[in-house]
Amino acid sequence: MGDEKIDKTIMIELSNTFKDAVSDVDVPSPNRAVARIDPGKVKEIMQFLLDNGFDHLSCVSGVDYPPDKMEVVYHVTSYSAPLVITLKASLPRDDPNIDSLCGIYWNANWYERETYELYGIKFNDCPYMKVLLLIEEMEGEWPLRKDYAGYPDLT
Amino acid sequence: MTHEATQITSPTKPSEILLHLGPQHPLQPGPFLLDLKIEGETIREAELKIGYIHKGMEKVFEDRTYLQILPLTDRICYLASNSNNDVYCRGVEELLGIEPTERAKYLRVLTNELCRLQSHLLGIGEYATDVGFLTMFIYMVREREGVVSLLEAITGSRLNHNYARFGGVANDLPPGYKEMALKTLGELKKQVKSHDEMLSSDSIYLRRTKGVGVLTAKEAGELGVAGPPLRAAGVEYDLRRMEPYLVYDDLDFKVITQTDGDVFSRVKVRLLEILESIYIIEQCLDQMPSGPYKQDVTPYITRPKPGEVYARIEDPRGEMGMYIISDGSDKPYRFRIRGPAFATAQALPPLLVGGYVADVAAIAASMDSCTSEVDR
Amino acid sequence: MEEGGLGMGEIEAELPPNVTVTSASAIQEFIKNSPLQKIVNWGRKNSLWFMTHPMGCCGIEQICVGVAHYDTDRFGIIPRCSPRQADVMMISGYVSKKYLPALKRVWDQMLEPRWILMMGECAISGGPWWESYSTVTHLDEIFPVDIYIPGCPPRPEALLQGFIELQKKIVAEQDRTVIPNPADGGV
Repeated sequence: MGDEKIDKTIMIELSNTFKDAVSDVDVPSPNRAVARIDPGKVKEIMQFLLDNGFDHLSCVSGVDYPPDKMEVVYHVTSYSAPLVITLKASLPRDDPNIDSLCGIYWNANWYERETYELYGIKFNDCPYMKVLLLIEEMEGEWPLRKDYAGYPDLT
Repeated sequence: MTHEATQITSPTKPSEILLHLGPQHPLQPGPFLLDLKIEGETIREAELKIGYIHKGMEKVFEDRTYLQILPLTDRICYLASNSNNDVYCRGVEELLGIEPTERAKYLRVLTNELCRLQSHLLGIGEYATDVGFLTMFIYMVREREGVVSLLEAITGSRLNHNYARFGGVANDLPPGYKEMALKTLGELKKQVKSHDEMLSSDSIYLRRTKGVGVLTAKEAGELGVAGPPLRAAGVEYDLRRMEPYLVYDDLDFKVITQTDGDVFSRVKVRLLEILESIYIIEQCLDQMPSGPYKQDVTPYITRPKPGEVYARIEDPRGEMGMYIISDGSDKPYRFRIRGPAFATAQALPPLLVGGYVADVAAIAASMDSCTSEVDR
Repeated sequence: MEEGGLGMGEIEAELPPNVTVTSASAIQEFIKNSPLQKIVNWGRKNSLWFMTHPMGCCGIEQICVGVAHYDTDRFGIIPRCSPRQADVMMISGYVSKKYLPALKRVWDQMLEPRWILMMGECAISGGPWWESYSTVTHLDEIFPVDIYIPGCPPRPEALLQGFIELQKKIVAEQDRTVIPNPADGGV
């Protein structure tokens, strides 16, 4: 936790530093900020945020937008300030993969594994890309995708 | 922190063996499998395997209307059901653009804190059985019954209260509630102080817990934990103070911290938080304004405008977040639950590595993670 | 090695008069058909040790019911932590596809006579998660269930009522426990 002030000015800095990779910056409420990022630059952006005091990766989630898009949503926040930054990376639905953040935030591991087994989004270099919650036979079914056929399970 | 020691590899030396704990075990509510690779008494590698009570909640929630989800949020973590209700309602209220009434805010704080009381009491109780202190468990469950009666008087249910509503709460306080609550809580305060004294003076207990399973502030930050394990390491991270929601702005309380970050401190934080929560509840009962406890008009069918919200709350176990994406229909497009216990459970294996097998129960129970919420 | 050195015929030949040889299954058969079985059942019904095996919300009520406030000890119902020591297994929550094999194994580890209680809607029918991709419904086709306790979660009083109903069933010999025949290699 550094001494730097952690507030919304980070969004301006972020879009200045990564001119091509960050877009649609929005601040909907005092403690929330949203931006869309380029999936290829996710590691650099996260490292930048970590260096600027955003030391807590709160959540990684996937969102499915059929027919052609998928999103990985990161919620990054700090242990010393209430601002939550929501970063969204759009991926192609037929081959979704993105760089893993395990080397930057330790706790990204389980969130990424969970997103992988539920959505089929591959995280490159994640040390242990295997199912976490489901049985191993269900790997490849991606149950949280919108077109999953096994729900409702009326057996 | 590396990921290497948190994945089990097969033993290479003849002195190493694999030890499976679970999935049925008396450690905590909920099954999980803890695989340990041990050499003598020392744990070399540890891996936590979860998902034994995975319910596919997020998928089910996408198929329910906003009002139907409300009782189901109780079941995410049954010991923190009021917190879950509250965070969900605040999320949907933000999407709908409505605000709960003033009295409802106080009622929600009141029930949230009562919920914290009973969660901490049961958490300490279970922890006490795991370190071989059965007497404390029986005491704690006895005290908890008093708190559960207080919650039952308001919400009508012992567990899974389903109390918050969009823009208000389900019902008002019953007559004579304040006297009843103050009597029970006064008694509880006395008992908790005596239990605290008992836990701080027992030499066997101190040797079993002091300096065991140490999680420093730096490590805790890296591992991404929040709640009592983080505050036990000395970090003042409490969303009630940092991002004040409801009426926590108007209430006086202090964030409990300890410095050591060991098993003893984590339990001490919970014990002191019980006293602090009682203080908050007393203030709530004093300051509670009269007025309606719910909005006059609550829409029966909730159709928020397209948008998204990330609401979070200080759960008994840490930071509970809900990320709701609305597409304008009466069902959420995406419902993501970010549970505090998930982060705590993930941080357990690195804590165990290098320790002794005999300490596993104490460390695991002192983290107080709720398997139902880990698996969802 | 001498084959059949201790054959049945030889023992009978060496026995003194007025002594008959019988087998464990014959004794069991004899007890079953005599008033002695009533005493055995009385003993069984008053020592229903249950396994603390919390799996969900109902697990919390299960914990509460085992200690001082509801005090199941007065009925001889005591919580145990090991399946080897328990007579009653409570399925107290949603069973996922991942957990079912482990649950079956826990059930197999318990010694007969053993009973099974379904506690809560999730175990009985799947409850709120009945249509999920991960849960198993129709557990009654897998386990021989004696008592169903509905509720989400059932109150501790309901759980006690369930135990009392089980005791009644045991006394009336209507329970579904299977006592294995020693002749088949059982205990």
